[in-house]
Amino acid sequence: MRIEILNIDVDSNNVMVIGPPLVGKSIFVRNIVWEKVSNGFGGVYVTTKDTAEAVLDWFQRFNLSDIKIIDCVSKTIFSDAPDTEDIKRVSIMDLTGISVRINMFLERFWKSGKRDVIIAFDSISTVLMYLNPQTVFRFLHVLTNRIKSFGAFAFYTVDEDMHDERTIAMLKQLFNGVIELKDEGNRRIFRYLSPSIRTEWRGFSIVNDRLEVSS
Amino acid sequence: MKIGIPVLDELLKEIPRGKTLTYYIDPEVEGDVFGMQTLYRNLEEGYRCVYVTSTMSPTSLRNRFKEFGWYVDEFENFSVVDAYSAYVGATSDERYVVKDPTNLDELDEVIRKAIDENDLVVFGSLSTVIDICGEETLNYFERWKEQAEDSVIVSNFTAWPYSEDVLSKVKELSNAVVRIGGIHHRVILGHYYGILKVDWTQVKGRAVLFKVVKPGGVKAYIPKILVTGPYNAGKSTFVHAISNKAISVDRLGTTVALDHGKVEYKGFTIDVFGTPGQERFDPILKVLGSEALGVILVVDSTKPETFPRAKQLLEKTTHFGLPYVIAANKQDLPNALKPEEIRKLMHIPEDVPIIPTVATKKIGVYEVLDALIKLLIGEGYAKSEGAT
Repeated sequence: MRIEILNIDVDSNNVMVIGPPLVGKSIFVRNIVWEKVSNGFGGVYVTTKDTAEAVLDWFQRFNLSDIKIIDCVSKTIFSDAPDTEDIKRVSIMDLTGISVRINMFLERFWKSGKRDVIIAFDSISTVLMYLNPQTVFRFLHVLTNRIKSFGAFAFYTVDEDMHDERTIAMLKQLFNGVIELKDEGNRRIFRYLSPSIRTEWRGFSIVNDRLEVSS
Repeated sequence: MKIGIPVLDELLKEIPRGKTLTYYIDPEVEGDVFGMQTLYRNLEEGYRCVYVTSTMSPTSLRNRFKEFGWYVDEFENFSVVDAYSAYVGATSDERYVVKDPTNLDELDEVIRKAIDENDLVVFGSLSTVIDICGEETLNYFERWKEQAEDSVIVSNFTAWPYSEDVLSKVKELSNAVVRIGGIHHRVILGHYYGILKVDWTQVKGRAVLFKVVKPGGVKAYIPKILVTGPYNAGKSTFVHAISNKAISVDRLGTTVALDHGKVEYKGFTIDVFGTPGQERFDPILKVLGSEALGVILVVDSTKPETFPRAKQLLEKTTHFGLPYVIAANKQDLPNALKPEEIRKLMHIPEDVPIIPTVATKKIGVYEVLDALIKLLIGEGYAKSEGAT
């Protein structure tokens, strides 16, 4: 899958986007989702940090409304806003519920003939705050296999400073591609790694929530 | 106690006191509704029922019941074990509250009280309790089971890829296990349930396809399989060969409407529809395809000139991404092409089964059905889990 905004080809169905806090992982992933959904992909955004309304506002600022959202925040903070056709709410503790709703959206895309689908899971680190790594691993094992079987592309954000090395190593087994983000003080850089592609480090900046990659 | 699930009510009759029933759910299938439906049915019967929630707040739980049209708060005999709120730092005014849901001893104390004071205890997610408290939960579960001499325990258990020890123990500890599975293709195309185990009555394995309806809950339905193929490929003969009962609407020996057969096979009841091969009937193919779970394409192995039409029919019926199997029919005739030759000529992917058949003699027809069922639900239910 070509990502124009990054000027890279991604050849992995399940990509971990890892970097330190505040480097811009969420905005980075949202920009990728925005590009693909604006160009005809079906899009699902699983949010564990912002409510569905906040995520939808972000995309609508850039003229995109056609996105499905799984909101794992509202129910956790005891808000009982109702589900809609495109927004499903589930507690972050309910991994089965998250899994069922991702599948429900995939099934809808499949039955409508849409085969190009992008999914963002933002973020795995929040799930790891509530549940132990083995539980999250089992959940991701099922999810990454489903994504691969469908032929979709999924991007999972991970805060690298929040977890021990063992957890990060365990997570890396599940993903066949990684986008690493780094903050070098005066500039931010990224690279993409997979078994067959290894890009150079490239600079990027975020201006008004839009991603700009240095040539 | 009642079960409240279609077909299971007929097969299991009821859950005797002192027994445990586990809904053993594939991770991608909406299965929590099973425990909820069993609870609601027993509330209506006047039994004292308690629901253990570990994945959502009691308010969200009540709203979840409401989605199905089940207003649990109208019943004085309903209560909740709140093993969630404290986990996310909230307070609770439920009748039973677990102050530290990560502490098995505290959970144990509350669950024991709930067992003593109720006829039915439903675990909304036994797997989540295991995830939070560890595998030792199952030792406690064994003791809860012993204590529940005069009540019934029903659990929803999501079968994540736990160790084989955990999965086996969950089954061992249950007097009855009902598997809730998904019909997997590239996505999950449908859901089914079937009895894996029961120790209080004798039942024959039977799988039931279901839909979750809001309001309404679990509703059983009969799946459809489409048999399509070019004119004179042997579709009607195929439908008759696999069906226990079949009818055709035909004129001058060719089908002008639909063949319809009912197949009882490996615990499934399946409706089979044979489509007419002529192009003028093509408009109905898409309609039928949209309701079907899988497609059998019958081709005349002696007539490669009909293969382009066969491909066209396949594209029309599998527009919705349905799995399909090819029956390479008329293999008893001279010059019949072998399945691999057909695969090459039709450019069929390697993972699509092409089975040699002679429908007139019922040769290979059940292998075709087997291959399609395997594509739909995997090896799981039919082979290893006791369906007949």
